Amino acid sequence: MAVDDVPRLGCGRSIDRIWATIDQPPSPHEEKCEQCQSARERLKKLTEATRSLRESDLHNTSLKPRLSVKNAIMNVARAEIRRSRRIALHGKENGTTEISEQALSSVIRFAATAIPGIHARRCHIEIRSGGNDPSGEDRPSGNTATAANEGAHLIINLRVAAAPSVEIPRTVDSLRQRISNAITACVGISAGTINITVEDLYDV
Amino acid sequence: MSEQPVQGQVITSQLIASLAARTALETPGVLRLEPTIQGFLARLGPAALQNLRNPGSQNGTYRHDGVTATISDGTARIHLDIATDIAYTALNVAETVKHRVRESISHTGLTPGRVDISILAIEPQPRTKLS
Amino acid sequence: MEDRGAGFESELELELDEGSIVARAQDGDLAAFEQLVIAYQDRLFRLAYRMLNDRGEAEDVVQDALTAAWRGLPMLQDVRAFGGWAYRLATNRCLDLLRKRSAHPETITDLEDLRSATEFRATYGPGGSDPAYEAETAARQDSLTTLLNTLPPEQRACWLLREMHGRSYAEIGATLKISQSAVRGRLARARHEIAEGMSEWR
Repeated sequence: MAVDDVPRLGCGRSIDRIWATIDQPPSPHEEKCEQCQSARERLKKLTEATRSLRESDLHNTSLKPRLSVKNAIMNVARAEIRRSRRIALHGKENGTTEISEQALSSVIRFAATAIPGIHARRCHIEIRSGGNDPSGEDRPSGNTATAANEGAHLIINLRVAAAPSVEIPRTVDSLRQRISNAITACVGISAGTINITVEDLYDV
Repeated sequence: MSEQPVQGQVITSQLIASLAARTALETPGVLRLEPTIQGFLARLGPAALQNLRNPGSQNGTYRHDGVTATISDGTARIHLDIATDIAYTALNVAETVKHRVRESISHTGLTPGRVDISILAIEPQPRTKLS
Repeated sequence: MEDRGAGFESELELELDEGSIVARAQDGDLAAFEQLVIAYQDRLFRLAYRMLNDRGEAEDVVQDALTAAWRGLPMLQDVRAFGGWAYRLATNRCLDLLRKRSAHPETITDLEDLRSATEFRATYGPGGSDPAYEAETAARQDSLTTLLNTLPPEQRACWLLREMHGRSYAEIGATLKISQSAVRGRLARARHEIAEGMSEWR
């Protein structure tokens, strides 16, 4: 089946060509050609009907999914988010405390909202253990790393988009400071290394 | 099945889980357990009483919506998944929760064991706008 | 059911660019993902409804497509591609459903739904207080949607994606796994069919 075939009028003009110039005055050929004139007429009616359908669908409050649809989507998202990585903060005798990378990232992003012209994007956090435990983890809990060991520290890798107008070096410095303060205040540990990558400029 | 009465009653892991959940939720800076604890507490109201009247096995593990309680030979261990308020220092909140949970377990006559805490979310308190 | 998704109210007030919202959702930020769901669910529903003429099925398509988007987000290379990808997920689900329907032709469209959409339309429109204009507009829209439903599903998808949703030829081509010139061809054919049909209607 020739799906690429563009329909043509008897005069040889393609519908596509008439469509392309529908908003302009008719060409000398179109002014004389009856087939072109009636095709233009029909396509103009279609254009109007299309615009009117687009507008009314857009504003038609009955053409929206029910709230239960969003709830169902968000419930799945919430249920599946628990797989995010955990970082151990404390390992005392009366029990351990760990924090999800998710929770740390949200503190970091929240801190970034205080800096005008910066939109925080992806955030990845690593733990570099100190020299005293070369084998890394002594806990059998899988992908849990420890931040509270002597010498171990967080390495935060944050990617951001910046407004075109911001002065990047100075803004990145104050962002780094802000994140460092927030990690101390909101989590209770020191922030370690904060790597910031400006990966994009966003339109204002 | 070793049904040894503790202070005249058998304490089930489900009851300990409920106690730990309530204690955590009453601690300042804890926004909620993850995921929803509401359904759990609603179901637990009458069930907890039921368990006191019809005591089950003392040993065992109960796990539900953000809280896991394990009782083994008179010692209760707890794991809590919590969300904390960004206005508090999460690590301090976790330490306070541990302390309080251990204290409330000791009131049941069981020995408080480890209380492990996972901070799964840190968020601003809903409806309290930060300036 | 309680809704815990809107925790970051003070941050939501900040107008983020879509790329940043997508990047955060890729990291599992639920508030960011919820913003994407809010931004896309109505559009995808309108597409699915005009493809399927069934409210329930259209809702299923939105739910399936955005759930799949959540699961696939970490693999998305370019944050700017999210919109096109969401449309692709929804379009292909619609086409799958229509293929299944043609295998079980007893399935009919939801007439009650069509009627309610029509009634709404009759009372809405730029004509405002002019009943004749409104009736004219409603009639024209009715003939358009009726003719649209006579088009083959892939042609209908082409037309809806382009004319109702303003998607690019490149994106539509990627969605339907055809070349851009094939997209143009199908669009031209669809416009021709509908325009012819509308002129016969009167």
